Amino acid sequence: MDPLSESGMRTPHNGAVVQRRSKTRSYRQSYRSCLGTASRLGVTPALTARRLNASRRAAKPQNLADKVNPEHLALLVKAEWQLSYVTPLYQFRHTQLRSYSRQLAAFIVAEKQQGLAVEVSELHNSYRVSLSVVQGLTESEDDAETVLIQIHSKPMFARQDEPQRSVWSGWLTCVHGSPEYLRSLPKDFTCLPLFGSRGPEYLSRVVKSWFQKTFDCCFGSLEINHTSLQWFAALWTDCHSQSHIQHLRMLWTIPAAPPLQITYTVDPQDAWDLWNSVRKEATAAVTEDAASIDLEEVTGFLQALKSHFYRHFRLDLSAGTLQQVSTALGSAKSSGRIKMSNSRHVIATLTLLTECALLRMPI
Amino acid sequence: MYDTSKLLLQRLVRRIPTQMLKATLDKWGRLTVEQRQAMDFTQSKWALTQKLLSVCEVHALSVIMNDNPNQGMWYTFQLLEPENDAQSVELTQFKQQFKCHLSELLRQMSVKIKKHTDEAVWIRIALGSSFSKPNHLKPTYVVHYLQTPYVFVRNLTSKLKPLLSQALTLATRHQGVKEANLSGRNLTSIRDLLMRQYQQVFPTKYHSPPEEEDQPVLNQHIEKEQGGVAAHRRHMAHQAFGDGMLPQLQSAVYMLDTKFRDPNNRTMTEREETFKCVVKFSSINLLESLRSCASSGIASAPVTPLLSSIPLKGRNYFVVTDNTPGPSSQGHQTQN
Repeated sequence: MDPLSESGMRTPHNGAVVQRRSKTRSYRQSYRSCLGTASRLGVTPALTARRLNASRRAAKPQNLADKVNPEHLALLVKAEWQLSYVTPLYQFRHTQLRSYSRQLAAFIVAEKQQGLAVEVSELHNSYRVSLSVVQGLTESEDDAETVLIQIHSKPMFARQDEPQRSVWSGWLTCVHGSPEYLRSLPKDFTCLPLFGSRGPEYLSRVVKSWFQKTFDCCFGSLEINHTSLQWFAALWTDCHSQSHIQHLRMLWTIPAAPPLQITYTVDPQDAWDLWNSVRKEATAAVTEDAASIDLEEVTGFLQALKSHFYRHFRLDLSAGTLQQVSTALGSAKSSGRIKMSNSRHVIATLTLLTECALLRMPI
Repeated sequence: MYDTSKLLLQRLVRRIPTQMLKATLDKWGRLTVEQRQAMDFTQSKWALTQKLLSVCEVHALSVIMNDNPNQGMWYTFQLLEPENDAQSVELTQFKQQFKCHLSELLRQMSVKIKKHTDEAVWIRIALGSSFSKPNHLKPTYVVHYLQTPYVFVRNLTSKLKPLLSQALTLATRHQGVKEANLSGRNLTSIRDLLMRQYQQVFPTKYHSPPEEEDQPVLNQHIEKEQGGVAAHRRHMAHQAFGDGMLPQLQSAVYMLDTKFRDPNNRTMTEREETFKCVVKFSSINLLESLRSCASSGIASAPVTPLLSSIPLKGRNYFVVTDNTPGPSSQGHQTQN
């Protein structure tokens, strides 16, 4: 990323003088670097291949209760989050969270006064922002620690002694991010590629624009694609022996006129037996590594479910799109919404999502 | 009495969405033309309610019977084993018998029966308990077409169900009633489906080209190759589901309890237990969606009996087991 910082397109916050090359040359350089030319950036081949991992370790349920602050864990688990990807943050310091909190609170108030962050039904006077570190979610050394952002406020006409309620929460995280990519980043960049938010849309916009201004990063919506949804179906079913999934529910939309929605709910024990049978068949030839799951097994599992459906209805589900997968462990929607209902499987879910975010990022 | 009626009217008006308020009041037909014109619909609902209360001294509230015919689900029941004189039951006899039987069984209850122009008998039942007056805000509606075995019910409580069944069977001179496994939001649609009052296509040996479809031919070569196949698919789709406008059903539920058969997967095929799953199809107009799936080829033609049973048998809840080949509508329903 050296060419980029030298091009002078960014002004670092410490105000140090930066070598400025001529404008046209720097533009060309940065443009090419945005396209991900490996030679210029030294970005790893794994990322430029631009595919999800074809195999991954089976999810081990982890008791996070002793590693993570239970309040934070409860917050993560109870709600549905809207996901975005974030490009690496420049000069983000985990030690300066309090200062960031104050800055963000001031920014929100300023935006409101300008009339940019207005929600007609809610009249809030003051905002209190708290950024905190959630320790214990990441395991590898390359991952930056997760940051939790909470905005508290109370309505304009509330009594003095009424406590402030949380009106918006969000988090930035990186769980088992690709080590080659993380190590290839220059020193000043912190990579927290996955952003989850819950609350009014105008506050999400304000938080994102503050981050973009302060750390020179980019946010974008993260849709969960078909392959990832299939991975969720397989990974969650795989956990059935440890945590009862209660059902495996999939939602498909078929492009008919008018559109047809099909909800396919499978009994958990039957889904588990089918999953195991697919694993056995798929790895029959190859030496089996019980801990790792291959993409072929995942697609084989979904294919078996679709063919059972076809045998009854003679309707091929591949003609439609998979929109949502849900079990008792959580639900994932293709619009980029995730709910993690069981704290023991949070890490596995976040790992998959971090990978999606890293791939979706433009640089 | 007057106060509770006032309260009731207030609550009723509050529940009706503002856009529909004018239409509902017109339908109500209790206000004279001048009174209706005097109502200013640009005011807030509260002001409107006060005006309404002052205008009509609220007495009869057996009123807004059809207030929201498309809200809430209608469930279908079928009367079984008619007696010899079932065919000759006519309105006054039915009304008298029904009210008589039901009031024997229940104390606090308000029953109103009315016949509409399309031969449907509408019954509105509001239940109370031994401590309270009948609750007019949550009435049960029952629609029955005399001389047919079908009864449509909305908002049936578990308390009322056995009593209603008994009263209905006695009043219509049948021996029993069972659930017919058909539900939907639109009463006219489920009625049309059940009584086959929609345009059907009968199987013919020689397909005639569909006259009404005038699809522009995009590519001559494709048309030459695929034209025949596409026409055949369209014909099969229309044969299975019907022509023209189809009754509006919102969903169909299949409880599948069959064995998993897959030549590629020996483990599951040899498994003793069945593969249990529930499939729910939903759409704003389910039959249209299914028909379009069949004609576009997403669903293979000929349409599987499981799907074509919806219009054929007039039901949208099925339990499918291995015992009968194809689409069984056996499998007594265990829950609805």
